[in-house]
Amino acid sequence: MADLPPRPPTGLPPLAPGWTEHKAPSGHLYYYNRETKKSTYTRPVSEAYGHQTIPTGSAQHASNTGSTSDLFHPLTAQAPITSQTPSNYQPQFYLYGGPVEQKPKRGWQHAPVDQQRGGHRGGARGGHRGDHSSFPDRRRQQEDRPKHRHDIPNCAPWVLVKTKLGRRFVWNKETNESFWKFPSDVMKGVVEFDRKEREKRERRERGEPSDDEDDAAMAEVEAELAAAEQEIEEAEVVSVEGDEGMENEEEYEEVEVTDDEGGDGFHTEQPSKRQRTEEPTEDPGMEMGEDDMAWQLAQMEEMEAMAEGYGDEDEEEGLPLTEEDCKALFKELLEDLQINPYTPWDKILDGGALFDDDRYKALPNMKARKECFDEWAREKAQFLKEQKAKQQKLDPKIPYLAFLHAHATPKLYWPEFRRKFKKEPEMKDTKLPDKDKEKLYRDHIKRLALKPSDLKSDLSALLKAQPLASLNRDTTIDTLPQSILTDLRFISLPGSTRDSLVKTYISTLPAAPEGAAASAEEEAEAAKKRAERQRREKALADRESRVREEKRKAEREAAYGKHRLREEEDEIQRAMKVGKEGLRAQLGEYPGQNDGP
Amino acid sequence: MPPVRTVRGGRKPPPDGFDDIEDTLLEFANKMKDAENASHEGKKKYEMTWPIFQITHQRSRYIYDLYYEKEAIDKKLYDWLLKNGYADPMLIAKWKKQGYEKLCCLRCIQTKETNFRSTCICRVPKEQLKEDQEIQCVSCGCRGCSSGD
Repeated sequence: MADLPPRPPTGLPPLAPGWTEHKAPSGHLYYYNRETKKSTYTRPVSEAYGHQTIPTGSAQHASNTGSTSDLFHPLTAQAPITSQTPSNYQPQFYLYGGPVEQKPKRGWQHAPVDQQRGGHRGGARGGHRGDHSSFPDRRRQQEDRPKHRHDIPNCAPWVLVKTKLGRRFVWNKETNESFWKFPSDVMKGVVEFDRKEREKRERRERGEPSDDEDDAAMAEVEAELAAAEQEIEEAEVVSVEGDEGMENEEEYEEVEVTDDEGGDGFHTEQPSKRQRTEEPTEDPGMEMGEDDMAWQLAQMEEMEAMAEGYGDEDEEEGLPLTEEDCKALFKELLEDLQINPYTPWDKILDGGALFDDDRYKALPNMKARKECFDEWAREKAQFLKEQKAKQQKLDPKIPYLAFLHAHATPKLYWPEFRRKFKKEPEMKDTKLPDKDKEKLYRDHIKRLALKPSDLKSDLSALLKAQPLASLNRDTTIDTLPQSILTDLRFISLPGSTRDSLVKTYISTLPAAPEGAAASAEEEAEAAKKRAERQRREKALADRESRVREEKRKAEREAAYGKHRLREEEDEIQRAMKVGKEGLRAQLGEYPGQNDGP
Repeated sequence: MPPVRTVRGGRKPPPDGFDDIEDTLLEFANKMKDAENASHEGKKKYEMTWPIFQITHQRSRYIYDLYYEKEAIDKKLYDWLLKNGYADPMLIAKWKKQGYEKLCCLRCIQTKETNFRSTCICRVPKEQLKEDQEIQCVSCGCRGCSSGD
């Protein structure tokens, strides 16, 4: 059983306080606690770590008693393949000979887990198969199931299905067949598909916006997939058959599979790179080939190195994102969506426009968002109020006079006119009292009866009365001063003649006197604001990428730790299976013994 | 209560700033109309008035927030709104008191109308209720309006 190369001690979870590590005569590590006088093969780890790992152990037992429905799962489907390598297989059972409880030392107590395992094994000892199955099947603990479905370009009925563990198989929608091994014609399509995926990813990494259509299509496909899961389950039987066929031809290396442990970490980075791995799903009960082991260790090392690399980068880059920045981001979002500060918060939420933006997630919860919105609304309302105050009051007379200019005729008396245009906003406007409206109307009608020459002279008198500051060469017909617009003399003439008169008069005027150029300061302030905003947005993006990185790292570490633990448990299992000769067999065969029966 | 409009033309025009909130108020008015005209089919007798209370609460809360929390409207407009029945001044008066910050309706604190001289169930803090006890009060359909929740 000692086929394992010595493992580097790195990556082992730290021992819980009070425990020491020792080597048993069989060469296996065990752990002893001086205070409680207890010893165990399972590595006692500190609290936080233990919580993670213990439940998985019990889960293994549960999943071990897999039902027939397991047949479908691609992982299980591969189990027969692995059992086809008998050279490693047989000697194991020989060595596992009898149910000997090993007690290397007096006063040793087996940890409860070990005892439980022992009992289990004893009961199930029937034949080779039975023995084999009595091993906790750790690889099967994660049930594999289809996760994503992609249409393969140019291979209409064939669909590429990706499972939860990152394996891929093809499924024919029409005939309901599925294969781990891609048929040659489908293979071309898959290669093409992979290429496209890779390109897309690269593009995304470069920061170009991914087309929304794709995402939508993906979502749709996934929804469809969920519905079609039932069908696939039926199709599984077919897939298993296909598998066995392949296995006979010893072509299963061609099957597109990725290692399930490294897979998680690797897939996030280069999921489309198809790895032709050596058999990735060794049954834990079986001997792992030396190569496999080495390969896996290498991968882990690589992974670790990578994780560390990422960590370093993180510390270097990454702008700090303070609480204030988060708030400011959210406020900018509100600003950008041009939300009315007078709308209630519930209504904004119902509108749903907020959720699409990344900045929505800058704040952690709904309460904070509401608070932030309230704050923003207060500020915004204040700002609007100030702006309104700053803006010169638009005289209510101006729109009314413009309206009169367009509609008033001497044919209508005031009451008639009022009734006729009752619905117009200018007539409904309450800021100008009805009395004033009536007076203006009557005066205007009276003036319309005057001679045009008088009206023209009146208009030029009005224009001449304006100071040069308000009316000068730069004024246009649209930017006339208020004093002109509110005067009845301005609207007495018909539009075309009046406008030409005003224009010619303006063209004779000199340029405006030195005005106050107070805009420089404002501009500087605006530029500052813009810079600040850019910084915050960058900080948010950084934070998000950092969080993603951390998550990935944590996942990787968890997978690594789990693997370590599994390995150790395996080792302990092997240690427990001392043959009839007892310890001597172990000691004698220990160095270099591998598969000699 | 819907705004009371007197027949005589002497209705004062709304002060400045009304046009900012006019749309929202119109929405509330429409909602209220819908609630008033909704069918009672399949509803319990006491359920029929719930939406009316709820919309009144929402609208009062909206105006209260605008004036006291966000200070987005001025006193003149606030008074005008109260006078014209856009918000319930009695309810708002209660919200200013400690312990009544979230009060749903006045009926729920009217102890004289109940059998045991107590307030409505919706005034009871969540932690004093039984685990997972779902309540909805009879007078306005409130699910709990104690300040501590």
